[in-house]
Amino acid sequence: MSTTPLSPKHDMKADMLHESTSVDPSPEAAAPVAVVVGKSARARRKPAVNLWLGGAIVLGVLLCAVFAPWLAPHNPLDQDLLHMLSPPAWMAGGDVAFPLGTDSLGRDVLSRLLYGSRIALTVAVIAAFGAGIVGSVLAILAGYFGGWVDRSISYLVDLWMSFPPVVLSLVLMVSLGVGIENVILSIVLVDWTRFCRVVRSEVMVVRQRDYVLAAQLLNFTHLRIMLREILPAALPLMITLFSLEMGVAITVEALLSFIGLSVPANVTAWGVMIADARVTMHDSLSGLLFPVLAIVITVLGCNLLGDGLRVALDPRMRSKGE
Amino acid sequence: MLRLISTVLSRRLIAAIPTLLMLSLIVFVVLRLIPADPLAMMLPPNATPADAALLRHQLGLDKPIPSQFLIWLVNALHGNLGASISFQQPVAMLISSTLPATLELCLSALVISLIISVPGGVFAYAVTDRRGELPVSFGVVLMQSVPSFLWALLLIALLGVYLPVLPFSGRVGDGIPMPHLTGFLLIDFLVKGEFSDWLSAASHLVLPSLALAFGFAPLVIRVLRSSLLDQRNESYVGVARLRGVSESRILWRHMLKNAALPALTMIGVQFGFLFGGALLVEMIFSFPGVGNLMVQAVRNNDLVLIQGIAIVFCALMLVINAIVDTLYVIMNPRLRKTA
Repeated sequence: MSTTPLSPKHDMKADMLHESTSVDPSPEAAAPVAVVVGKSARARRKPAVNLWLGGAIVLGVLLCAVFAPWLAPHNPLDQDLLHMLSPPAWMAGGDVAFPLGTDSLGRDVLSRLLYGSRIALTVAVIAAFGAGIVGSVLAILAGYFGGWVDRSISYLVDLWMSFPPVVLSLVLMVSLGVGIENVILSIVLVDWTRFCRVVRSEVMVVRQRDYVLAAQLLNFTHLRIMLREILPAALPLMITLFSLEMGVAITVEALLSFIGLSVPANVTAWGVMIADARVTMHDSLSGLLFPVLAIVITVLGCNLLGDGLRVALDPRMRSKGE
Repeated sequence: MLRLISTVLSRRLIAAIPTLLMLSLIVFVVLRLIPADPLAMMLPPNATPADAALLRHQLGLDKPIPSQFLIWLVNALHGNLGASISFQQPVAMLISSTLPATLELCLSALVISLIISVPGGVFAYAVTDRRGELPVSFGVVLMQSVPSFLWALLLIALLGVYLPVLPFSGRVGDGIPMPHLTGFLLIDFLVKGEFSDWLSAASHLVLPSLALAFGFAPLVIRVLRSSLLDQRNESYVGVARLRGVSESRILWRHMLKNAALPALTMIGVQFGFLFGGALLVEMIFSFPGVGNLMVQAVRNNDLVLIQGIAIVFCALMLVINAIVDTLYVIMNPRLRKTA
């Protein structure tokens, strides 16, 4: 990807972050005051809904993951060959013992979903954390020092972004081998650029602030300035990105486990459930729909939370571009 | 104009060559760090260590990595990407026979997602600060939370299995011979004048491209909406309003044109997303494209093939970015003069 000034590469994440935040400081002067107040009140209500709904979903999934052994009615790997592909309990032929039905080997779908959330959230939290640390450290270095440091890190980011992300993670998974820790590592290695691009441009703005100049004049060390002056200013953005990245990580893990590259066979993951249910789709659609719903709802929770945090953490709402 | 296009395009393409070299080097090195021995697959169970050493020598695997890379590079420049271990065929041939299918899929998905997202983005902008903003923005986030491969499964479940109206396997119906002209079936069948076959190919393309488009459209909707929001305080909007131009005309004829540019760059950058989605979607629909080939290669640990496909994907990304950059220059009169 060329780094020509002609084409300001628009970053999707950056757009998502700054989108809907261009609150014009001077609304149409002709508009009556009452309307303006009503508008801003409504504008304020929306992020709160996002924030609380997203937070509630993520918290709910988190609780499911933590308490899976107590909540699950069965062992997720127990096969009950007398109850294969039974429908959910409320449908004809359903069994109360299997609230969401069973899969082709008679394993309880609900229990598998609950245990699957452990894999999904483990990957989401650790991978997003790792990608956030790697990306943000490089971004702060690039944005703070500028010059050749910035040029080389930006080159690396551009190079990385020329890979279609899924292709890169497949190549990495082939090289690293199957396993949950390798899934996490490959997500970190692919997605650090998401943090790096956006945080870097934030740091470049922060670097120009007076208090950073003051700290430099006081002859503070670079490390101290980066940690004590720059990092706190960039932290809200990083938290927002973290939440969005959790959603991405869950998707990628589901995708890899769907192909069979993520977890060993004796571990339950949502992607594996989908892959299993796909084979028996003609006999039973419910086994396919529940894990799909689980992924969609969890990712939705992360996205809503990220959207809500973006606004909640910055009351003035960023109005500048990338 | 044509000269401008060719100048800009060729400049961008030349600038992409070093990037492609670096990318191939990365892929090459990453795939050499593999713990599994690529020879294990190729040798019969009763092979002796001497056989293994011989094969290793034949494949050049006993040389240091830099010289392996150089050998591979020289071969690649001659159009020889090596031979696939699992298919026992040249990689270049495997890729060139599947690439048109992927391109056809991605292009039709792109068209569909533009059909969805241009009105969608305008609508999402139009409801900003109104009653509809909350449900619309929620809908977009919801759509964005469903990756293409889940769309693919949901579409199959709904329109393939539950209501069997559309085919969901392969590129054409059974027994229809493949025309070997351009590889783009929609063009080939049209050229040959076989309309029933054309319909079969088109109907096989519907579900996979819808799945890809549904995954891609929300991204475009969001970018389009935010760049429309950036436009609304521009002075030309106020001037048009003062002149009595209707709001819908201002929006569709003036603002949309200006907002299209950022959306265009975004589409270029996010094309990789489309390719990534195509990988899984092709696999799910048994669509004989490069993505499907890649999944098979990964499952068979076919390193030579994986490497070839990964680099072809990177090259495609770079070409598409060059094309988008060129379009950007053409569509933006301010850049046209300086270029």
